[in-house]
Amino acid sequence: MSERISVTELNSRVKDLFGRTPGLSDIWVVGEISNYKLYSSGHSYFVIKDATSEIRAVMFRSAMGRIDFRPGDSMKVEAYGHLDLYVERGSYQFIVESMRRSGTGDLYLQYEALKKKLEAEGLFSSERKRRLPVYPRTIGVVTSRTGAVIHDIITTTGRLFPVDILLAPAQVQGEGAAASIVKGIELLNRVGVDVIIVGRGGGSLEDLWAFNEEPVVRAIVASKVPVISSVGHETDFTLADFAADVRAPTPTGAAQLAVRDKAEIYRQLNDMDLRLNKALTSVLERMRYRFEALDSKLSPRKALEMVEMQGYRLDELTSRAAMCVREKVSRMHTRFASVEKRPEPALKAEILRMKSVCGTMFGRVDPAMAKVIERVKASEGRISARLDALSPYSVLDRGYSFVTDTDGNAVTSVKGLEAGSVVTIRMRDGKAETKVVNKEEFE
Amino acid sequence: MSDIGNEIQNMGFEESMKVLEGLVKKLESGSLDLDESLKVYEDAVAIREHCRKILDESERKVQTIMETAMGEKREDFSVQD
Repeated sequence: MSERISVTELNSRVKDLFGRTPGLSDIWVVGEISNYKLYSSGHSYFVIKDATSEIRAVMFRSAMGRIDFRPGDSMKVEAYGHLDLYVERGSYQFIVESMRRSGTGDLYLQYEALKKKLEAEGLFSSERKRRLPVYPRTIGVVTSRTGAVIHDIITTTGRLFPVDILLAPAQVQGEGAAASIVKGIELLNRVGVDVIIVGRGGGSLEDLWAFNEEPVVRAIVASKVPVISSVGHETDFTLADFAADVRAPTPTGAAQLAVRDKAEIYRQLNDMDLRLNKALTSVLERMRYRFEALDSKLSPRKALEMVEMQGYRLDELTSRAAMCVREKVSRMHTRFASVEKRPEPALKAEILRMKSVCGTMFGRVDPAMAKVIERVKASEGRISARLDALSPYSVLDRGYSFVTDTDGNAVTSVKGLEAGSVVTIRMRDGKAETKVVNKEEFE
Repeated sequence: MSDIGNEIQNMGFEESMKVLEGLVKKLESGSLDLDESLKVYEDAVAIREHCRKILDESERKVQTIMETAMGEKREDFSVQD
């Protein structure tokens, strides 16, 4: 008796069968990718085919994260995974859990082994990296004479800073490529360039392989001239890139690393020009200031001031001298007085001579004294006029009066007064004795 | 021109820029007397002119170089767009 089952049940049974059948899971399928589509979800859908057959394949995002290359059409691969059935459509597909590029398995192993070895030798260490020259005169390039690399380098440097370029044409892929690249690096070192760019455009791992070979890595390390590498695309890292002093993501980037922008250098020169002129101007300013300081000491006005200063000192000395003379005269006066009391004939003549000396001296001193006295008098007059103006009596002329108590002290407050107190009121032309009748204190 | 004149002609651009920067700083320090200042200024201007001249030279050589049995051989090179 045959079973009656639904489509869903049938497909489910097949799905179950796939899962239980050995040889449909845990297998590597060898073929070529076609119809490759990567969805924004991160899953990719494609067909794996060989010369006579094909199968649909899915690679989920989690598995995509495990591979280190970007799958693409006509890429030969080995895909690991299991067969599965999509129940809703009744179609089966290969679920890819991992994938490697076929034929390159060995290369990957070689790459990893060599990388480890050279890393251990310290060839990739950052201490080894040399600084690129700031203003190279000649850039050496080791690459194919055709292709985008040399083209991009020539146009980019032409735009930024048209330095000389010396191209050592090299074979960049296939048999003999590594030897050709090594020869180019050595040749450019011999003829003398300031920096070397080594590179090629993008391609498969096999295409780039020469840049993973030990002789190329060692030639880069041995180069006396700093090396910029530019191999493949941004995402490809070759051992040459690790060994180079700087790795550029693209040939244009390599050119930008090699030369500076000429416009910027012009700006820098102009800036130095400004600084130079400013510095010289300030030196000149400083010199002028020092000169002016010296010069002013030599000017006629300064000379006059100095003469005046000397005149002032002369006056001072003169007045001190006059004082000395006066002292001397008064001492002589005393002596003369005592001498005169007991006149002796021998002294008579002396006395007469001294009298005449004193006469002339007083004659010289007196007018000066008179002047001083006059000046003092004049200032006295001015002072008493000012004192007059301050006198309370002058206020009385203007209609004010003032009050004193019986002792003559000024009374300026009603405090202390009471009815019956006697005070004196003083006015312009006389005074009146008065008795207080009543008092009121203001608030 | 000052005695530095002959040296300048043999200086590369990088060296020239370095020397120029050094002279500018020296002058800016203000530690020189007038004669020395003028001399430094004169040298700096000469080097600046030298730098300008190098920059203004737009002639560039693009050549290939190859080893042959006859030695190194250089040829002018241009890329076809």
